[in-house]
Amino acid sequence: MTLLDVQDLSIVYEPHGAEPVTAVRGATFRLEQGEFVGLVGESGSGKSTLGFALTGLARAPARISSGRIAFDGTDIAHLDGEDLRRQRRGGFAMVLQSGMNALNPVRTIGNHFADIFAAHEHVPRGRRRDRAVELVEKVKLPASVLDRYPGELSGGMRQRVAIALAMSLDPRLLVFDEPTTALDVLVQRAVMETIIELQREENFTAILVSHDLGVVLESTARVLVMHEGVIVEDGPAARILQDPQDDYTKMLLSHYADPRAEVVELPGLRVAGSQISTTGEGPAGPGTDAAPSGGAKARTGRTREAVVLEGVGKVYPPPRRGEDPVVAVDDVSFTIEPGDALALVGASGSGKSTIAKLITGVERPTAGTVRLGETDVGSLRRAGLRRLRRDVQMVFQDPYSALNPLHSVEYTLMRPVVNFGGLRGLEARRRVLDLLDIVGLTPVEQFAAKLPHQLSGGQRQRVVIARALACDPQVIIADEPVSMLDVSLRAGVLALIEGLREQWGVSLLFITHDLLSARLVTDKILVLNRGRVVERGETAQVLRFPEDAYTVELLDAVPQPGRAAD
Amino acid sequence: MTEKEATAQGEAPEPTQPPPSGRKNAYNTTVDGGGGLVRVGAPPSPLTVLGRAAGTIWSVPKARVGLILLAVFVLAAVFAPLLAPYAPTDNSFARAEGGSPAHPLGTTTAGEDVLSQLIYGSRVSVLVGMVAGFGATLIAVLLGMSWGYTRGFAADVINFFVNLFLVIPGLPLMIVLAAYLQGGGLAMIIFVVVITGWAWGARVLRSQTQSLRSRDFITAAQFSGESSFRIVFREILPNMTSLITGSFFGAATAAILAESGLSFLGLGDTAMVSWGSMLFWAQNSNAILTGQWVLLFAPGLCIALLATSLTLINFGVDGLSNPRLREGKGR
Repeated sequence: MTLLDVQDLSIVYEPHGAEPVTAVRGATFRLEQGEFVGLVGESGSGKSTLGFALTGLARAPARISSGRIAFDGTDIAHLDGEDLRRQRRGGFAMVLQSGMNALNPVRTIGNHFADIFAAHEHVPRGRRRDRAVELVEKVKLPASVLDRYPGELSGGMRQRVAIALAMSLDPRLLVFDEPTTALDVLVQRAVMETIIELQREENFTAILVSHDLGVVLESTARVLVMHEGVIVEDGPAARILQDPQDDYTKMLLSHYADPRAEVVELPGLRVAGSQISTTGEGPAGPGTDAAPSGGAKARTGRTREAVVLEGVGKVYPPPRRGEDPVVAVDDVSFTIEPGDALALVGASGSGKSTIAKLITGVERPTAGTVRLGETDVGSLRRAGLRRLRRDVQMVFQDPYSALNPLHSVEYTLMRPVVNFGGLRGLEARRRVLDLLDIVGLTPVEQFAAKLPHQLSGGQRQRVVIARALACDPQVIIADEPVSMLDVSLRAGVLALIEGLREQWGVSLLFITHDLLSARLVTDKILVLNRGRVVERGETAQVLRFPEDAYTVELLDAVPQPGRAAD
Repeated sequence: MTEKEATAQGEAPEPTQPPPSGRKNAYNTTVDGGGGLVRVGAPPSPLTVLGRAAGTIWSVPKARVGLILLAVFVLAAVFAPLLAPYAPTDNSFARAEGGSPAHPLGTTTAGEDVLSQLIYGSRVSVLVGMVAGFGATLIAVLLGMSWGYTRGFAADVINFFVNLFLVIPGLPLMIVLAAYLQGGGLAMIIFVVVITGWAWGARVLRSQTQSLRSRDFITAAQFSGESSFRIVFREILPNMTSLITGSFFGAATAAILAESGLSFLGLGDTAMVSWGSMLFWAQNSNAILTGQWVLLFAPGLCIALLATSLTLINFGVDGLSNPRLREGKGR
């Protein structure tokens, strides 16, 4: 039985005072009752816009410009207000990406359910509590959460509550918009499993909107691939995996690899055993022949020093009186030799970002010492810290918040050049253009004049990397540098980081939860769990033959399209 | 279905080559509609930025009304000698007259032309509003932002002073100060208004500074070796334009009201012609009892309209840094 029939649907955004943009063009597909379908695309492909439209949540400035959405025979594309609200019961619901933040912090979870029951009056008063308990148990939460406030629950629990809330109107169609993206790796997997199970048991029709083809192929039976507002491919997951028809799908698939494999290859990057190399085809790799002279000059006269951590611990005072102090880092020791790349992996809360703060001098260790060469980082005062930043630079996780939206690329890069390099005027400008050339943003003159909002995520991250390189540092700390980027852009940025390390001899501390990228750019690895090192060694060795249970768990959380076929 | 699908695919643009580099990001071009990418060149000059800001404010109907009202008052203040039929202190006319062709709003009990006083009075209000508003905003920006950015002892000291000014009731403090500095004229009034009017703005700017301080690009600026001063004024300040503009208009409104209040109470320079002193003299001569309600009504209305115009402009200021509010009409 056809539940949803979408015919030639187009959606335009008509922002006030700007050109209208067509976000979805001529989408046509049908969903049968009980199907689990994935909708994949990178940012800007229109997948979320489509998801919102299907559940009648499209709002100004978005407008359905043509086509129809028949839900069980009724056209919902042009329904309004009250009719739409009635349709929601036994109709369609949506779980949002930030669904866990969609809960009202001053109301208990039970109240959230009560609100929905009261608005639709489909559950008799006396049965409401029982029904709510039933629903939270479906998403594997204890009944006691109903009496708690959202702030008392973890992110994963809140997302489960959001799913239970979406289920409370017995929907026949559920749209999940990136339901696990905001969650921690290990939690992601658990929530995804609950969704899959729930769909199987309740037999509702589900659409999983996601940027991650790996996750979608693993969990759904049929996949729609969207690119620039158009559905470019529609087929069973297994067929898409084995025999993708569209070039775009092929490209997306080429960016997945198993970190456990002997040879790991992404476009532009290849790792065999523990040998890393940037392949020539990678457009991102800064050609070795293009080594700018300005940078090489700055290189002379500086000795390379190792970063040494000895028995480092960091304990934060208890968050509330009467609680135990928080141990963020516990007895961690390691050394990054000049030119080495070390990966620091672990789930959130494992203390990896705290270690980054300790090395950059933002926080001071409560035990042990952090040293860069002869300098004791923990005891530096203001002026010392400023000198330290000449040598230790950071690449941030979120390229969207790491650049001041009001400054041009040239200004952003000019500052460290002026402050640390001591260059002025034309010389400084030449150095800025060199930097842009190094990170592959050409033509350099054009990019120098741009403002951050005129750049894509990948380009922004390149600017961030260029800024980190500007003062010719010894150590670069990259905190999840690719986790906010589209899958297809990741390989390029990773190849850039890898190439820079080879070419400039910069040491790299690569912090990530993504083992695939760790495998690609580092040669040593440190696995952290709750502030303690649980496993260490050569990256290839550790990932191919993991010994600790936690490492195995992390490896299992890496989405692999291939696994679905097994 | 397959047929439909085929057409959908047929319309698809050329599939992109695998672009692992960020350089060629296909979707960016569509989203920006090309416009964003073509616009390359020097960053916009301050003048064009100002022009664009004015355009944004103008596009909000409420703010447009406010701008027109304000323009009327400013023009009246600037061209007062041309517009006013008589000199404001010329008391050679018949006293306490009603409206007549020669004196549309009548004359005061001292024999001055009310319309001329009204027009000249706008000079004081507009001047005090702008200068005191600017002064109060300047102090609020300097103190609020350094307060928000620094931690430790310095922040505690500023905290103490701001809270001190926040808890002291404004009007009594103003009256005490004005009584002390009697005879200082306009400069004294501006000083008093600034001293009592900056604290609230500082508080608001401080919290916004604190929230911006934790953003990555501020940490990045520290890593670029920027000094604290530069971080506050080159990185954080430009991101708070709308807040500061809003706080300026708020402070200017408060200053206008405060000046009128002080003059009305007789604490200003009673010889100076301002709307507040007009009210003061009208009250002194029991204008209501003698049936000359215009003497009270006209300056009162002007004060209210000028304050309203600034408040209306503030509606448009919200849109300066929040594009979402500009699009809000579609809902």
